[in-house]
Amino acid sequence: MSILPALASRRAGVRGSAATPYLFLLPYLVVFVLFRFGPVVGGFLTSLTSWSIVGTPRFVGLANYRALASDPLFYTALKNTCYFLVLTAPALVLGGFLLALLLNRPLWGRGAARVLIFAPYAMMSAVVGILWNWILDSNFGLLNFYLARLHLGPIPWLSSEAAAMPAIALTTVWWTVGYNMVIFLAGLQEIPHELQEAARIDGAGAWQVLWSITVPLLRPTTFVVVMLTIINTFQVFDQVYVMTGGGPGTATLTLVQYLYFQAFETFRLGYGSAIAYVTFAILLALSWLHRFLPSEVAA
Amino acid sequence: MTARRSAGGARPVPASARARSGCAAGKWGAAAAAHAVEIVCVLMFVAPIVWMISTSLKPEGQILSYPPLWIPRTWTLENFQSVLARFAFVRWTVNSIAVAVAATALVVALDAMAGYALARFAFPGRSLIYQTIIAMLLVPIQVTVIPLFLVFAQMHAIDTYQALILPTTANVTGVFLMRQFFLGIPAELEEAARIDGAGDFRIFSQVVLPLSRPVMAAVAALTFVSSWNNFLWPLIAVSSDRARTLPVGIAQYMGGHAGTSGSAPAFGPALASAVMATAPALVAFFLLQRYFTQGITLTGIKG
Repeated sequence: MSILPALASRRAGVRGSAATPYLFLLPYLVVFVLFRFGPVVGGFLTSLTSWSIVGTPRFVGLANYRALASDPLFYTALKNTCYFLVLTAPALVLGGFLLALLLNRPLWGRGAARVLIFAPYAMMSAVVGILWNWILDSNFGLLNFYLARLHLGPIPWLSSEAAAMPAIALTTVWWTVGYNMVIFLAGLQEIPHELQEAARIDGAGAWQVLWSITVPLLRPTTFVVVMLTIINTFQVFDQVYVMTGGGPGTATLTLVQYLYFQAFETFRLGYGSAIAYVTFAILLALSWLHRFLPSEVAA
Repeated sequence: MTARRSAGGARPVPASARARSGCAAGKWGAAAAAHAVEIVCVLMFVAPIVWMISTSLKPEGQILSYPPLWIPRTWTLENFQSVLARFAFVRWTVNSIAVAVAATALVVALDAMAGYALARFAFPGRSLIYQTIIAMLLVPIQVTVIPLFLVFAQMHAIDTYQALILPTTANVTGVFLMRQFFLGIPAELEEAARIDGAGDFRIFSQVVLPLSRPVMAAVAALTFVSSWNNFLWPLIAVSSDRARTLPVGIAQYMGGHAGTSGSAPAFGPALASAVMATAPALVAFFLLQRYFTQGITLTGIKG
């Protein structure tokens, strides 16, 4: 940052081609405006229209939002999404933290363990969905087999309204907790060793070191992990689409699922856009609760 | 390694260390417990993948055996053959590779240039442009899918590679990572090249880019994987095998619940397709995981 003024003044004197930075930026800005910024603005405008795929859009003001406010399926989707968030987010954050703590210890084979626990994240959602459909199968699934060994179940995982969402939550935790672990590990490695050593020499026990040094120093990392987890969880779609299609009934219908249904199965594009924007607003509110962007990004 | 060290510490108990022996034994116990937990955790994450591979290699009759067979009694490739014979699996794979390669190349090139402009030049509107780009990090992708669909439908470009590649190129994280990296490169190098008479573009391509391999690798790894796994937009933008990518093909033809195929195939072929789709990704992941974790760490910590 500090070099910029010097660089700029020299540039003005020697080179003076003011167009250069814009030439560097131009290709990116074209695709950014066409395929990101434009659609974000366009999405809002679409939400103010009644638009099926054939025919022309008709401006309807906030009618879509009003309709949404009294749409029971929307509230079902919102409730299910929140339920999914409650089931997965704590497990993903706490699980990622505990795995990172464990694999930050000088254990034998910890490098391999880190990679293996992170590996499911490299699988595509459709594959994860198919694999867990099989593992969670009521009659022949691996999970019910081992639960039966413990004299539990059988649980009709994906075919009952009560168990379907927990089943998808379990799948999701298996799939993505490694991602949080990686971020936590990087955070743990930034904590200077001397601090923990010093505390130990002063007679602090393992728990005390954890609570009074590791956890507080890890707060910025925790913060990022919590926000990323909430944002990703709130947009859950793939696993649900592959594993239950929103069922049984509407037990696993989520917000993005409902958006997809309205916009691309019944072709109510305006209404779908309204769902997208309400979801966005909820996420924004959640982010603002915690001032999401660290100062470096906003610089 | 250190487990052995702490075990070694516990073995010899000289008189002078007698007072500490209780503590050492406790340490040894803790290390043993931590290793046990480590093994259990790894098993929980690996077992489903092993189960997937094992199932895909079993003949129809053994798949539903009770109790489950971890190792097939007889091995077969019939599930793989049936997938390749009945579905356009090869075409989906080719589509996925083409889209991911093109998207990755474009993202690395465009983001490097944009990141460089934002890091090294002072120009009117810089901060507004940068903040607008960064603000898009907060906007969930599903907000854009309906307008994107309308745009590509208007251009009669639904079900084409362009429809899959272009939206991916409007990548935000990459610009952020590139800019951060360029800010960390000492400007003296560029100054020296400038005194030697190099122009802006030559400085960028011959001085800056060669120094930027780590960040380019991280951005490339993240982009490739996210394109490879991308689901919602391809599901919307694709209507035939012409452009259908692997995740969409697998979900639509192998998933039990949502599909254009009507009835899902048996578990054997479904898991064989899962193995075929996963194997290249996992191999690439094990080879490139350094860049992959680097990218995630950079976005997670610094972003």
